This record gives sequence, C-alpha cells and structure tokens, in this order.
Amino acid sequence: MKVALMGNPNSGKTTLFNAITGKTEHVGNWAGVTVEKKEGRIKKSLIKGNTEILAVDLPGAYSMSPFSSEESVTSDFVKNENPDVIINIVDATNLSRSLFFTTQLLELGIPVVIALNKSDLNKKKATMINVEVLSKRLQCPVVETISTVRSKNGLEELISAVVNAKGKEQQAAFDGAAVNLADKTEVEASDKKRFEFVKTIVSEVENRKVSSSKQTSQDVADRILAHKWLGIPIFAAVMWAVFSISQTYVGPFFADTLVGWIDGLYGWVEGLLGEGVSPVLSSILLDGIIGGVGAVVGFLPLIMVLFFLLALLEDCGYMARVAVVMDSFFKKVGLSGKSIIPMIIGTGCAIPGIMATRTIKNERQRRTTAMLTPFMPCGAKLPVIALFSGVFFNDAAWVGTSMYFIGILLIIIGALILVRITGEKNARSFFIMELPEYKFPSIKRAVIEMLSRAKAFIIKAGTIILLCNTVVQIMQTFDWKLQVVAEGAENTSILASIASPFAILLIPLGFGVWQLAAAAVTGFIAKENVVGTLAVVYGITNFIDTEELALIEGATNVSDVIGLTSVAALAYLMFNLFTPPCFAAIGAMNAEMENKKWLWGGIAFQLGMGYTVSFITYQIGTLLTTGAFGTAFLPGLIAVCAIAGVVVYFMRLGNVKANKKMGLSV
Amino acid sequence: MGNIIVILIILAIVAVAIAKIVIEKRKGAKCIGCPHGGASNSRCSCNHSDNKSKG
Repeated sequence: MKVALMGNPNSGKTTLFNAITGKTEHVGNWAGVTVEKKEGRIKKSLIKGNTEILAVDLPGAYSMSPFSSEESVTSDFVKNENPDVIINIVDATNLSRSLFFTTQLLELGIPVVIALNKSDLNKKKATMINVEVLSKRLQCPVVETISTVRSKNGLEELISAVVNAKGKEQQAAFDGAAVNLADKTEVEASDKKRFEFVKTIVSEVENRKVSSSKQTSQDVADRILAHKWLGIPIFAAVMWAVFSISQTYVGPFFADTLVGWIDGLYGWVEGLLGEGVSPVLSSILLDGIIGGVGAVVGFLPLIMVLFFLLALLEDCGYMARVAVVMDSFFKKVGLSGKSIIPMIIGTGCAIPGIMATRTIKNERQRRTTAMLTPFMPCGAKLPVIALFSGVFFNDAAWVGTSMYFIGILLIIIGALILVRITGEKNARSFFIMELPEYKFPSIKRAVIEMLSRAKAFIIKAGTIILLCNTVVQIMQTFDWKLQVVAEGAENTSILASIASPFAILLIPLGFGVWQLAAAAVTGFIAKENVVGTLAVVYGITNFIDTEELALIEGATNVSDVIGLTSVAALAYLMFNLFTPPCFAAIGAMNAEMENKKWLWGGIAFQLGMGYTVSFITYQIGTLLTTGAFGTAFLPGLIAVCAIAGVVVYFMRLGNVKANKKMGLSV
Repeated sequence: MGNIIVILIILAIVAVAIAKIVIEKRKGAKCIGCPHGGASNSRCSCNHSDNKSKG
C-alpha cells in the first residue's frame, strides 16, 4: 500500500513523515526545505494488522497547477503513480489557506485523509476547530495530529484512518474539475468560487479567540528581528555568539577529550609497530591515515556544537526572519528573495542548498543562485575556518562570523555582476514568504540534526579523506623514480612536483608554497581535505590543543610550521572558502543549471572571485601591517586586472542585450 | 613479517573505505558523507524546462 503525504509548504509534512517512519530526513521551520520525494515504510507499531505501508513525502505545494519545479514533482507523482491514499497535511493554524489545496486533492478521486497538524499550537491560542463538521463538509476523515510529541499525537488514529480509507470512493466537496484550464478568466472565476467555498467552511468550523488581525508579541519581535537595518547587526551578533560558543568555549572543551583519544591511538599503534617496521609503511599508517584523518576528526566536536546551535536557530523561526532581512538587498541585485533559502541551507552543505534552488521559478535567478550558493561557508569548510582562526588569530569567533558576512557580500557583488552579464538588469522580483511562528526550539530535533551531521562527517573522514590522505602521504614519500625522498629533499617528491606549478600562481596571494597549493587542490575533492593534507605535508599529528591551540607533540607552534603571516593565512582561508566548491557540489550545480555554459562560466567566476578576494586581502593587509605591498604585487595585479577585464567585457555585452530588450539604440 | 602485516592492514583500511564509497554510489548517493545531500537522484527529478520563465 502506497500513501502520499501532501500539503502546503511548512505544514509539517517531513516532521510527520519522520514521526511515522522513524526516519530522520531534514526538516526546517520554513517553506521549501523538501524539494524531492522521499520514501519510507510506516512503523509497524502504528499499524493494526499486517499491512505494509510505504509513505512518500512530497515537496509542499499550494496548488495542483505547478508553479515551480518542486511543485511539479508533487503533481506529477499523484497523476502518474496512483497512490492508494493521500494524507493531506493541513496546518491547523492556517486553515483557510490550507483547504484550497485540499479541495483540489479531493477532486482526484483518490481517498484523502486529512491530518490536522500543529493542533497543539491552536490550543495554545484557544482556537477551536470542529473536526466532525470539517470531516462532514469535506467528505473525508479528519484526524488531529501533533507530529512533534511522542504520545497522544494522533498518529495511530491517522494510520488507522488511512488503512480504512483504502479502496473507498472519494467524493469532491467542491467540483472545479470541469474548468477549461486554457481559459484564464474561467480559471480565475473558479478559483474565486473555491476560495468562497473554503471561507464558508472555515467560518463554520473554526472558532478563534484571538483575531489574526490583532498585533501580538510575535509581531513586535518581527518588527525588530526582521527590520531592514536593525536585522543585520542582530544577525551578526547572533552568528558571533554561535561561533564563540562553538569554537571558543564549548567546542574545544569536548575536542580536548577526542584529541586525547586520537593521540592515544597514535601512540598505541606507534608502540605496536616498534622499530622493526619500514619507516615508509609506518609513516603511511601513522601520519597519512591516523594523523591525517585524526586532524580532521579533531574538529568534530566544534562542528557538532555549531550545527546544534544553528538547528535551534532554524527551529525557533529566526532563520526565516534572516531571509526577510536579506530579501531587501537581494531583490536590488536581481536575485529572488527565495535565493536566501538555498543559501542558508548551503551553510550546512552546499549540495542540498544548490538543490533547493528548484523552488525558484525564474531560470536566470535559479542558475545565479546555484552559482552563488557555494560562497556561503558550508559545514565542510568549518574545520578549515576553525584551524586558521585558532592557529593564527587569538579571537576565533570574529573570523568565522566575518567569513559568513564576506560570503554574503560576495553573493551580492556576484549577483550584481551576473545580472548585468545576463542582460537582465531591469528585472524585478517579488518575494512572498510565510513566516513561521516563533516557538521554543526542539532540543530533540537539534540533537538529531547534530548527530546526522556528525555521522556524515565521520563517514567522509573514514572514506574520502582517508583515501586522499593516504595518496598524499604516498606521493609525498616517493619521487617519480619511486625512490623514497630523502630528508630535506621533500621538494623532489611527486606531490611537490605536481603542486609546485600551482604554487607559482599563488605567490601574489602570499602562500606560494607547494604544501599549501597541494592542500588547496585536495580541497576540491572535499574541503575538509585542506586540514588533512596540511597535517600530512607538515607532519602534524593534530592541530588542537585547547590551551594554546599549538602542537601537542613538540614545542613548535603550528603557525611557525606553516610559516604564514596572519594576513597571508586569512588570504589562504578565503581562497579555500570562496574558490569553487568540492566536485560533488559542482555536480549538483551541473544538475540544477542544466547548461554547460552556465556551469563552466560559474566555475570560472568562482575561481576568479576567490583569487581576487585573496589577492586584495593579502596585498592590502600586508600594506596596512608592514607599510609595503606583499610579494609579487605587480604580477598579481596584472592577473586580477585581466579577470576584471573579462568580467567587464561580458557585462558590456549584457548591457547591449539589455538595451536591445528595452528597445533602445546603442 | 612485520612489514607484510602493516601492508595488509593498510590495504584492508583502504579497501573498506573504497567499498563504502562504491556501495554508497550504487545506492545513488551524490556525495559520500554529505548531510542530506546523499541518496538522491543524480539529476533533478523534475523538468525545469516546463517551468522556464523570464519574468
């Protein structure tokens, strides 16, 4: 038996899906988190009898006429895959809007069971819904549900109603199926009638004690948190607090224990190997595998704390307000207000962020958003941020916070450039977003989110990062004649000879050494590799000592080993954050852009942007700190001017295109 | 003998890592070890061309 979960965006479909299947799919307290269908078997404990039920969670939709590509996933599924029953998740706090879609579902002839979700929120506001009358009027079962609690959540009753509904004929409460969809006037008239019908039902079944037009404390909070100007310093303060807690206080406290375990493992294996084992093999196992992977895994507690806090912010409804604050800036640069959602999702991982661009209807805006989303520092980049802010800067929190804001700034600059290149500088966009109500965040959900990211991080460390570090260690150990590289002659290794040409290009950025070039290149496989490769090439077992953020073994400070000035370190950090993302994210860009010109243009754009930002940071920073420009200023300036020249050329072409569109002569 | 054991251990660790990547790829994962970016279609399951608009 197949059951489809359908409803408006942010009605709680995925939360209900997770509750009835036991899965831990990503949920978010805003519209547009789910963009693909997800399947799972409903828990046996909820089913009376032996029926096997497959639940399919579908992206949210406001109507059966799809307006965006994720909505078409929903309508296509129902039309092509014939589910046995539809569970229509209705947001009980917003009945009048939700029932428009419900009336359309009832016309499909497939049995519908309504899950009247978020019933607990209604009770808090003393809003009563007469479930029996609603069920009679819609001619389908209605069950009150609360997906976020374990007991008395109505889920057993819901599944029982689903089993009973199978095979029954579904009557349409409102019949608008006969409308000629090609006739706009007829469709509009039918929609108007449908709204009237819904309004009548709502007036019959709903009894509100608090009028929706009355100002509440939520509205007051919104006026401050979502304020056009005030919202930005508040967001900066919130992010600073998140980084302070995760990377200065709580994170390192737990990291200390983990690093101790990794050290213990390293020492234990070293003792087992003894003197009898070849130094090459011992080095691959100890420095390449345990040291390299350990250096990355050491940052796990910092990342877990950070994602726990971000999950709390998302769940309480704050991140949706950030989207509203950003909208006023984004629409001025030709982006959709919806673009902020993929970008915030991208702070976790760029891939789902890029996939979330499907919610954007306009093709140019969608492609631009997919291209710019990787500028937001994702979870994989956090170990790199944590390493550099810890090793080179005393106050770790401002470095991480500023990376987010520089990312946002680059997105705005990038969007300004792209809107001119594409010749759509006169395009205007409008963003309507339903703000979820503020609520106390679910600790359980934040813990699940944190653990799911930790699991993913460990899997990546144990697979891709382990393999990369092993290969890097081997390439560093041997030269092209497959002879072991002598001590002091590391420049003759395979790794050094491959990375050195790249290193030349990086001299104007302040980090033109092969070790750093190699780490940046392996970062394209997975960004955590930057940390792992640095650990391998500099022979550092782990980077974290919570007291001084210095090497645990040996007295040498990590910053001395890497040999960068603070300014060059900041430039290197930015280069790794703002050049193209990992290959998997580039694959996601390819899938969403569906255009090779956009894809390659996007990669070149990201590379140019990362190089330029890094160059400016290093050269201006060096000028300010030492009174003179850094090394290779002139060649770097020529390279950056060449990049700017290409961008200006394409912007002029776009300008011609835009003027032609406006009917002006040039 | 010690060297052979260490080689076997390294090979075993590397083989497990490769096997995990292959299994995940066969399951359709786009990215190994990416939270919520894993098991999904390699291409978008929707049809963008149906929704193209220039507005």
